[in-house]
Amino acid sequence: MRRVYIVVTLVALFAIVGNHLMSPSTGRAVSPEDFAGACAPCGAPCPSVK
Amino acid sequence: MSTATFSASSAAAARTDYLFVSIAVLATAILVALVLLDGQPASAALVLGGFGLGVAFLKAEFSYAASWRRFLTRGEAGGLIGGLIVIAIAALVIVPVAALSKGYGGAIAPLGPSLIVGAFVFGVGMQLGNGCGSGTLYTVGGGSGRMLITLAFFIIGSVLGSLSLPGFLELGGIDPILASDYLGPWGGLVATLASLVAAAVILAFVAQKRGANFMPSRNYIIGGIVIGLLCIGVFFAGGHPWSVTFGYTVWGAKIFQALGFDFSNAAFWQWPGPKHALEQSVLSDTSSLTDFGMIFGAMAAAAATKRFANMPWPPVGSLLAAAVGGILMGWGARLGFGCNIGAFVGGVASGSLHGWVWFAMALLGSMVGIRLRPLFGMSRE
Repeated sequence: MRRVYIVVTLVALFAIVGNHLMSPSTGRAVSPEDFAGACAPCGAPCPSVK
Repeated sequence: MSTATFSASSAAAARTDYLFVSIAVLATAILVALVLLDGQPASAALVLGGFGLGVAFLKAEFSYAASWRRFLTRGEAGGLIGGLIVIAIAALVIVPVAALSKGYGGAIAPLGPSLIVGAFVFGVGMQLGNGCGSGTLYTVGGGSGRMLITLAFFIIGSVLGSLSLPGFLELGGIDPILASDYLGPWGGLVATLASLVAAAVILAFVAQKRGANFMPSRNYIIGGIVIGLLCIGVFFAGGHPWSVTFGYTVWGAKIFQALGFDFSNAAFWQWPGPKHALEQSVLSDTSSLTDFGMIFGAMAAAAATKRFANMPWPPVGSLLAAAVGGILMGWGARLGFGCNIGAFVGGVASGSLHGWVWFAMALLGSMVGIRLRPLFGMSRE
């Protein structure tokens, strides 16, 4: 199990760093709730708006 | 140095798994360095807050899934009441600050079929997966191979949930009900704390009726206070209460996208928040930052005291339950607007009614999940 953990951890870390370096990153970290019209932590709209 | 002293220090040294402590600390340092290079100290604080949460959860052995199971099978309410301590401490800051300060918001969600079905399904999955959203993170970080399976399927389930959620929202619902909207910031706080006291009294009453203990253990009291304070720290750094499972959804969607899946026709991924998260770096998402920190914090804490990931793989039935539980939790978390942390802790600590609805439905789902455990060779307790 230790070997699995080492492989999974390294692959995950490379994936995170790779994604960060190859993707845009505009300013501070945000949550979907920060966007206009969001009514839930995932950014879903409010029933009344629909 | 006497022989006895030498033996004691070598035994202590043998208990520390330096390889995994180093991996955890190095990985955390890399993430902190990356976000600091982008000029984002708040993101670094979220990673470090997550790290602290991982250590706290692991050291306190703070488990929502197990404490709910102990309550439902034996009537013991100490763990559940310990969980309420976390919420009460977080609420002291979140309710008034979210109502009074620009740039901060509570965890809110609409009430409707999506919340009810999602929370129920999450509760079933929680008992099969043997952990909730935060539990999965810290046990994965703590070296449980079984929970690696749960996490992998949790991620898949949450992507499936993201595709199902818009259809469920079409069924209707009502806008979020927030105590501070009706009673003001301080009245909302009083109402929130009163609801927590009422819940604790009901839980203690049920425990007493069943002849069981309802006092939280020392570990749960100290752990609850520390976790509550860290929740406040994460709230100040991120602008919203701590959440876990949206990060899983983003990771899964990014993986599926890399495999060639196209989300441009999926309604969920066209909403501004999820669309932004999918396009941007994974380190631009607040829940991912705390999730990563929590895994590495738990890894460092676990490896500091014993040989890391030294347990054999569990039986196939248990691994199957981990997979099924993971899928159900992932799907349920998206429909139910989060897990124990994002929906229950964050929701109630914000004074949002959806937090209590989530709790009631997930508790019902847990009753079903406990009954299903023997099908996978697992004990009901």
